[in-house]
Amino acid sequence: MNCKELAYMLADYFDGSMDPRLREELDAHLAMCEPCMVFTKTYQAVSDKTRLLRRHIEYEIPPEVRKRLEKFVHAAALKYPEKIREYRDQVERDRRGKIADLVSAAAAGRLSSAIALLMESHCAACPECGEYFDSLRKTGTPPSVDPPDGIRAHVITLMQTLPPGEEFFLA
Amino acid sequence: MSAERWKEDEALLESLRKGAPGAVDELLRLYQGKIFNLAMSILKNESDAEEAAQDVFMTVIRKVETFQGNSAFYSWIYRICVNTCLMRLRGKRRNETVSIEEFMPVFTDEGMHASPMDDWSKEVERDALNEELGRMIRKYTEELSEKYRVVFVLSDVEGLSNEETAKILGLSVPAIKSRLHRARLYLREQLSRYLLEGKAG
Repeated sequence: MNCKELAYMLADYFDGSMDPRLREELDAHLAMCEPCMVFTKTYQAVSDKTRLLRRHIEYEIPPEVRKRLEKFVHAAALKYPEKIREYRDQVERDRRGKIADLVSAAAAGRLSSAIALLMESHCAACPECGEYFDSLRKTGTPPSVDPPDGIRAHVITLMQTLPPGEEFFLA
Repeated sequence: MSAERWKEDEALLESLRKGAPGAVDELLRLYQGKIFNLAMSILKNESDAEEAAQDVFMTVIRKVETFQGNSAFYSWIYRICVNTCLMRLRGKRRNETVSIEEFMPVFTDEGMHASPMDDWSKEVERDALNEELGRMIRKYTEELSEKYRVVFVLSDVEGLSNEETAKILGLSVPAIKSRLHRARLYLREQLSRYLLEGKAG
């Protein structure tokens, strides 16, 4: 190892990632080479001192900048949840609409064969849904039905079982 | 990163997600100074750093719900900050002050040190020198091009590990190490010249 090679290995030397045999070689060079010893000490002093003097090196945030920033962030934080709520409400409304359409199409026999099959086997196994859809068929079907929460949860599960892209309604 | 800091981050994340009262105050308490400092060390301009910090906190508030938690919270925030600042730098004309090459160590053809070495490592241990040294380190750090500066600030000033810095910058660990090494070589050389001049004068 010569001085140039040593200089380029110092980062490894100090972060502990150096191969132990190479480290031995480097230590041996340091022991007999004054310039490298000085170079290594001063190299190490740069990062040691930097860490130690962090307080002097870092930029202090000016009080007026701090004030403005705090005001800005608080305002942004207040505005943002409203937008999220609006968006979630919209998504929820869309979903309710879709379920209502699906339920009334199920009762009227207008479902595509894939979901109709899923629905049928579910109703055979689930007395709650079976009864509900039976009663809908008997009373005649309004164009849109908002089902009770228990039924809705089952319909959502069925919708999610269907592979993406699969059509819900008969053409 | 200390265990205590980790816990603080966890609690902060939780309360931000819930929109708990005081969550934003806590976010500011823990990160305002750090974000401003990091933005300053990349942008080197107070009003740019202020605007960047606004963008960073805006992004954090917007995206905190989708934050996956597979990286540490602070590293996520730093990453947002670095990206925001680099976007701002893009398009701006960069006036790099010095070429780092001029300050790399010089070797003979045989690979031996070509110039005499002055050992100032003992001198800088004097506390009386601290303020001046801190100022000089900051000045020389500012002279580095942003490629080296960001790595040096995250690693040697902020004290993050090479792995953490690599994650934040989206670079490999060897790339981080090589930049950090060159930044330190540059600072070593500049500090040597500065301290030597001080002695001569």
